[in-house]
Amino acid sequence: MQQIKLPPRRFKDSDLIDYAIVGVGSAGGVLLQRLTRAGFKVVGFEAGPFWDTERQWVSDEAGSRNLYWNDLRITGGKDPLALGSNNSGRGVGGGSVHWASFVPRFHPSDFEVYTQDGVGADWPIGYDQIEPYYQLLEREMPVAGPAYYPWGKPHGHPYGPHPMGEVGNVLIRGCTSLGIRVSAGGPVAILSASHGDRPHCIYRGFCIQGCKVGAKASTLVTHVPDAIAHGAEIRDNSMVARISMAKDGRADGLTYFDSDGNEHFQRARAVIVSGYALETPRLLFNSACPGHEQGLANNSGTLGKYLMAQAGNVILGKFDDLIRQYKAPPAHALTEEFYETDPKRGFARGFAVQTVGPLPIAFSKQLIAAKQLWGWGLRREMMDYNHWSPLGLLGEILPWEDNRIELADGKDGRHDARDRFGLPVAQVTFSLKDNDKKLIEYGKNVVMDIMLAAGAKEIVQESRYAHLVGGARMSTTSATGVCDKFGRAWDVPNLFIMDGSVFPTQGSANPGLTIQALAARTADYVISQADAVFSSSKRDMTEPPCRRTLSPPGTFSKGVPHF
Amino acid sequence: MFGRKEKPHKVTPAPEQQPQRQPLVDPMASDQLVPLHQPGYYPKFRTLDQQNYWDAATRTLILDRVNNIPPLRFFNLEEALTMQAVAERILPQDDRTESTRIPIVPFLDARLYLNHIEGYRYEDMPSDQDAYRLALRAIDSMSRELHSEPFHALPIQVQEGILQSLHDEKPLAANYLWQQMNLKRFWTMLVADCCAIYYAHPYAWDEIGFGGPAYPRGYMRLEEGEAEPWEADEQRYDWAAPQDTLSDGSGQAPAADSSPRGQAGAH
Repeated sequence: MQQIKLPPRRFKDSDLIDYAIVGVGSAGGVLLQRLTRAGFKVVGFEAGPFWDTERQWVSDEAGSRNLYWNDLRITGGKDPLALGSNNSGRGVGGGSVHWASFVPRFHPSDFEVYTQDGVGADWPIGYDQIEPYYQLLEREMPVAGPAYYPWGKPHGHPYGPHPMGEVGNVLIRGCTSLGIRVSAGGPVAILSASHGDRPHCIYRGFCIQGCKVGAKASTLVTHVPDAIAHGAEIRDNSMVARISMAKDGRADGLTYFDSDGNEHFQRARAVIVSGYALETPRLLFNSACPGHEQGLANNSGTLGKYLMAQAGNVILGKFDDLIRQYKAPPAHALTEEFYETDPKRGFARGFAVQTVGPLPIAFSKQLIAAKQLWGWGLRREMMDYNHWSPLGLLGEILPWEDNRIELADGKDGRHDARDRFGLPVAQVTFSLKDNDKKLIEYGKNVVMDIMLAAGAKEIVQESRYAHLVGGARMSTTSATGVCDKFGRAWDVPNLFIMDGSVFPTQGSANPGLTIQALAARTADYVISQADAVFSSSKRDMTEPPCRRTLSPPGTFSKGVPHF
Repeated sequence: MFGRKEKPHKVTPAPEQQPQRQPLVDPMASDQLVPLHQPGYYPKFRTLDQQNYWDAATRTLILDRVNNIPPLRFFNLEEALTMQAVAERILPQDDRTESTRIPIVPFLDARLYLNHIEGYRYEDMPSDQDAYRLALRAIDSMSRELHSEPFHALPIQVQEGILQSLHDEKPLAANYLWQQMNLKRFWTMLVADCCAIYYAHPYAWDEIGFGGPAYPRGYMRLEEGEAEPWEADEQRYDWAAPQDTLSDGSGQAPAADSSPRGQAGAH
């Protein structure tokens, strides 16, 4: 049983704190922990609650809706994205509370998609800059997976792979008979053996509903306790409305609403926005002010643009034998054999194939979409829940300028929708382009081939999307993105953006590990800069040392296999 | 004929001969069919029997769901009657005994009353609340226009015909109302909402053989669909929906792009 106590408030609104972090999720949790350990005065502002997991989390699908960002957003375009429970967290731990916790690394090619394929964008960093942080975060979570992972830059994992559920067996059987390599039992940020005071997985299958066991890594259990032990303050149920700018062109604090709707102003020497791909651009747009009329840190005009989701088609196969897809973590086996560009396929970039494990409600919705069922036919098909095995496509969709987040502020033909504080909500526009459609069609057929080879008697599919990144991308020059390679806003020297929104491209790897690795790297940069962040406008682009002294306890208690 | 299939049947009563909300009768044997306490292939499996192995928060939540049916606060009486009839066709439960039927409309009403939305609204849709009010008005208008009766008073097969036309995005009437929103999105939301309520109930878990809450005990038999010692093995039989129903489609062409609201559960 987990017991993490929210510490009492440490700072007053009128105190000048060093760093105000907006959003205590995947990135915010890591930053809060690192910067507090380094001795800064840090407050994490979180729109949702600080969870009392034993009392507030349940082993139940319908009862877990509070884990998601369910406030209104507007979604449109030719291929509108489902939001909310599909991709948006709320509460301390953020998306890492409800992720399935697949943690593949990006491949070296992901950082130079434009150079290699002439599409998308290059990152302002290469694989070499992020690799030490992949290694570090894989130990901090820690990650369970095979001793030798063959794709991208091959590497091993600190904890052993998980046992297979039957959905994983379906993937392994299908892939093996087609000669496709497959990774079994990880990489997932779920404990296959106990770690410190966190127990190992009990294979109950409710990962996405919040791991009440504490076996699945969320920053709530991996980094927040250590942050609190070192003096971090977390102000939960606090919705940040605006970042405030002083006359000298620097941020001087932020305005937020407490749970009763009272408005407060917190002074801060620097601000880090970690609100994820929709709320981060929304906050920057809502912080428009003289000198930043088009949104804060938006001189480039790229804020809100190049939003990405991954193709997340779910292919459902029906088997004569029982599967019981609800057992074992939804994430437990995958293949990245199709990850890289293959010119023979006629499109750039690629995809992964992963296990998923929808519980009855999620599965029924997939069946409705895949088979257009209702009435008795729906009841009948659902009675075979235990005979269906799902597999998920995870396909790279390229960054397009017109896939974007805007404010639903009623201006210039946009919708007008507000939240309970009167703040305009996010309006999302998303449409697939030719390369994306070709990739999805090809990938879908590969997954169906795998399903067929595994012995499925009926195969259907649902088109859907997974994850959200982009919208405030990092770039090499101030004209082409919102922030530099450390997440420092090009236009405001003491404002950082660090979460999935900084991704220039997304690969076909789940983004969680990369978000946390980038956050740890930015923490190292900020610590290296010391007081310069608070006073200087000079932009030091020197790569910081990767500190191994700021990790939570137990990080280095296990070895990592090398080949 | 529904539920456990005893023998083949050939006679289909014409819709106008169908009794309204009276027990269905086996047309061959003229015997009244006895609804089951528990449809599905796991006849002795009851997740609620496991409640002592659930954590307290989960047990409290599930028992509250089973025992405390929320009052109607969003739908007016007329809307509630229409919605009830719609829900009975979207997720028919005629094969369940009265006491084991899962209430759908009260939980849908609560969702709309409490504004428990899925976190987004399509730009070509009104709010969920307005969408339901508009749709119920449209369904009733269709019924009155075509059959001079409110929807809830129509024979089951006629109701199914109306709903099938919505499913097909070719409403039989009231086009002027349906044109006010994206019908495909509404239909998807309607079926998904009914599913989200039905499959949240322990009786539905029993029906499909889902193990239910599993903390802190967990699972230890992960492979080959093997049952835990406390789960039940599948006992298949030839299950049949009512012979004359329009809604027992065994599945149509793969869906186009639209997906149900609330996409938790995959990646």
